Amino acid sequence: MNLDINVVDKESVAVVALAGEIDAFTAPKLKEALLPLTKQAGNIVEVNLENVSYMDSTGLGVFVSALKSTKENNSELKLVQLQDRVLRLFEITGLTDIINIDSTVRGGS
Amino acid sequence: MSTLNLDLSNYRDLLKQYIRTQDETALYQAEQFSKLSMQQNISPEEIINVHIQALQDLYPDLPEGIESSMNFLLEAMISYGLAYQEFQSLREKQLALKSEISVAANMQQTLLTTVKPEVEGLDIGAISVPANQMNGDYHHFVQNNQNTLGIAIADVIGKGIPAALAMSMIKYSMDSFPENRMDPCTILESLNRVVERNVDPSMFITMFYGLYKPETSKFYYSSAGHEPGFYYNAREDKFEEIEARGIVLGVTRDTEYQQYEKTIHPEDMIILLTDGVTECRQGDRFIESEEVLDVIKTYMHLPAQQLVDQVYKHFERLQDFHLRDDFTLIILRKQV
Amino acid sequence: MEFQSCVNINKEWDIVGARQIGRDFARKIGFGTVDQARIATAISELARNIYLYAGTGKICFETIEEIDHKGICIIAIDNGPGIAEISKVMEDGYSTSGGLGAGLPGVKRLMDDFDIVSEQEKGTEIRAVKWVR
Repeated sequence: MNLDINVVDKESVAVVALAGEIDAFTAPKLKEALLPLTKQAGNIVEVNLENVSYMDSTGLGVFVSALKSTKENNSELKLVQLQDRVLRLFEITGLTDIINIDSTVRGGS
Repeated sequence: MSTLNLDLSNYRDLLKQYIRTQDETALYQAEQFSKLSMQQNISPEEIINVHIQALQDLYPDLPEGIESSMNFLLEAMISYGLAYQEFQSLREKQLALKSEISVAANMQQTLLTTVKPEVEGLDIGAISVPANQMNGDYHHFVQNNQNTLGIAIADVIGKGIPAALAMSMIKYSMDSFPENRMDPCTILESLNRVVERNVDPSMFITMFYGLYKPETSKFYYSSAGHEPGFYYNAREDKFEEIEARGIVLGVTRDTEYQQYEKTIHPEDMIILLTDGVTECRQGDRFIESEEVLDVIKTYMHLPAQQLVDQVYKHFERLQDFHLRDDFTLIILRKQV
Repeated sequence: MEFQSCVNINKEWDIVGARQIGRDFARKIGFGTVDQARIATAISELARNIYLYAGTGKICFETIEEIDHKGICIIAIDNGPGIAEISKVMEDGYSTSGGLGAGLPGVKRLMDDFDIVSEQEKGTEIRAVKWVR
């Protein structure tokens, strides 16, 4: 499986739309795309996970490092439209307490 | 068949024989010749050179164009020869790495060995199988003199060597904790500090720690973001998720973990696992957690160790005998 | 020993010139067809490295005559950025080779003796020797 990463970097808001699976093979690519965005102070990085059908713990690792980077660089990370299976992973690991996740609009079917 | 020599006269004779007879035997010998050449690290350009010389011997009046064309071919083959030699050396390197990893895997196995304890009134089954050589899952039993049983089950994100290194760190830290501070929440809080200080931000560890006290039949537990286990209530013949909230180890400093407790009745079971169990895939489809419970139900009549072994076998087969993730399953059953 | 012939490498086309001169040199010393081809390939690699990583430099050829054997020494000199980790560049499968067996490990295989001196920000000098068999 592959991961498509589509970044729309507008002024102070970067929208990252992901489609596919986030696992040990695709996570490095995601990290490479995500981290530079969090390094711009004041930037809001919004990651749309509507079309992510699977994520494993390696993917969580990427979001945790992105979160740490936002703290260091005064930017913001926000995850939106998570599918149930992916959201469950954030809930189990307790990461919903520290990552801004908007789960009011669910992604997927 | 006669043994082949890699010399010019031999090649020339073979070539001559083939040109005269178009015979399959000569072609077969050419095949042997090329295999032998590879064994002796002879590059393709050298074979072409032998060919050119044999041609010159056989046809002294070879048209000049043919000779030039053969030299052209020889030049074109040089890089193939180099690539082949590099391939050979990389293959040797790969073998060396493989054996290094298997030594490390053995060391890890020794380090992480845990003895399944004998606890009165408790039937215990445990299985842990790595997807690759090194295991990123970890489970450990601690039995102290008050006859209480501590059970740790953990999963490092990622697989392979980095995961195994982090796991070894956890094992060392746990060994250094004083025995009288065995509360699950305290243990997770201490480990969280160790992981937070020593591990890269993109890496973290999930852990469930449980403590069973036989004299009161009470089970105390805390979870650091670990895949929830299940509790089997024998009286109602029902499974329920063991709910425990807590953030994974290593992400926030000075985290406090909540501790929960549960009284265990005869024939009840505590089922602890890692996401290698719940994230099993059948083709492109993920199994649902009910399916895990259904399989457990099927083999529930067996003693705990046989039960976990059978469940593993079931999912190993379901995934065509190729695990995607490390698989750990522990079942505790209170005996009557 | 004195330099007997040098070719400046400034553009890709100069690689061909260096091959030609090196091959003639090798033929005169008495190398056979296969070794001539190998020497030319080694020259290609060295010249290409200069062209790609240093921009400009030169390749020189020397005849080595000792009592019992003769050989060719190829010297590649540039004033480029230098090589930070030589052991890494000499590793098989390192990026410059791209699995094609080329790069400096390839040169080492094609030749008999091989030596690099490199200083960062100053440049690199590579000497590779092949003996007539």
